[in-house]
Amino acid sequence: MSIMQYNGSAIVAMAGKDCVAIAADKRLGQRALTVDTDFQKVFPITDRTYVGLPGLATDVKTLYDRFRMRVNLYKHREERTIEPKTFSHLVSHMLYERRFGPYFVEPIIAGLDKNDKPYICGMDLIGCLDFAKDFIVGGTASDNLYGMCESLWEPDLGPNDLFETISQALLAAVDRDALSGWGAVVHIITPEGVITRDIKGRMD
Amino acid sequence: MNRLAEQLAANDMSEFGLHNNNDSAAIAGPSFQLAAGSNPAAFAHHFIDAKSEKDSLIKIAHGTTTLAFKFKDGVIVATDSRATAGNVIASQTVKKVIEINPYLLGTMAGGAADCSFWERVLGMECRLYELRNKKRISVAAASKMLANLVYRYKGMGLSMGTMVAGWDEKGPGLYYVDSEGQRIANDLFSVGSGSTYAYGILDSHYRYDMEVEEALDVARRAIYHATHRDAYSGGIVRMYWVRETGWEAFPLEDVGQLYYRYHPEIQLTNSAESPLTVAPLA
Repeated sequence: MSIMQYNGSAIVAMAGKDCVAIAADKRLGQRALTVDTDFQKVFPITDRTYVGLPGLATDVKTLYDRFRMRVNLYKHREERTIEPKTFSHLVSHMLYERRFGPYFVEPIIAGLDKNDKPYICGMDLIGCLDFAKDFIVGGTASDNLYGMCESLWEPDLGPNDLFETISQALLAAVDRDALSGWGAVVHIITPEGVITRDIKGRMD
Repeated sequence: MNRLAEQLAANDMSEFGLHNNNDSAAIAGPSFQLAAGSNPAAFAHHFIDAKSEKDSLIKIAHGTTTLAFKFKDGVIVATDSRATAGNVIASQTVKKVIEINPYLLGTMAGGAADCSFWERVLGMECRLYELRNKKRISVAAASKMLANLVYRYKGMGLSMGTMVAGWDEKGPGLYYVDSEGQRIANDLFSVGSGSTYAYGILDSHYRYDMEVEEALDVARRAIYHATHRDAYSGGIVRMYWVRETGWEAFPLEDVGQLYYRYHPEIQLTNSAESPLTVAPLA
């Protein structure tokens, strides 16, 4: 079993009409054993930008703390909040700095820029950026998520429809992956604010 | 190709007055074509990943959590229903209790194909025994037949951990048989990747003097707890009760719903059932 599969995760981000959504499962495992069913993998970076971190749990926690520090420093120096696109480039650079001893996470970023335009992107564990217009997937259930998103996603979904779509995609994907699931959380980021929902899923 | 048992066994028992009748000697079972070459077992191991260790190899479907225990009114057998091939959940509706005949049950843990196939061969041999001897086979004899069948293939990569449960002249019978050659009798067993979690529940609540309803509840809870903690167990709980008149199956229960039934106090924050409302920006 590879190191990226040790803890297990499933994270997906989707772009809609003037909104983005990012969702993740809540399992923390150690190979077959499920240790926690309430493990946070999606973190707020600013009020309008969220980052999802699938992969090795220790690196998830460490990287989030490092991001927090860099974003706070950015805010002090620039006297403004960081844009999602700029944040992605920051993350990419931070990962490539560890090119020969990488962090075992493949971050997914979702947010709204200063003009309320939706922005999503993903990257591999050494920082290769993937700017998609539709959806980004990651984690042990990523193959399943690709299939679900490809079938269910359509452009210009409003917040309610986007919530339905991303929830169905995530739930169906994790129900076919032994290492992810055990609960899920969805964040919908709109210009008016962020809506966070826990979804009722299978706990097996 | 010499199988391990044949290399070690002395086949000629005629000096003891025992001749090689069809129903007394070791049952050969079906014969298999093996890969040409000096070490077919190694060839198979090279390409087939039986333990979900390497991503590059062919994955065999595995389970699971299974349990069985004797109590005053018979034997309870309970299993989950998930089969995984590597980390992919291949199925959530697998029948891991194999109905060998109306009074004998076998369980499936380890390789799904290995268990289904060999327990079906066991069913066939039990039927032949009945026809030859005009009486039902005992649980001890049936489990021994299965153990001897798979012992010939020891070391060749079979993965099977099964419990044979039934009711015979001696009362309720329960044996554990596996592909390593173990065959042991006891009142309580749990087999599979989720067995440790099931043992926790069983060891806390099991009593020989339980009534049926209580026994079923203990079995159901044990499987549920195993499916919750073990990534490779899940799906539905299948339960059987083996009594003097034969086995009886019970309605299936979905583990996904059992969680919320056992935890009615769980209220999700901002549950998806409530209408979508916008949280104001801080």
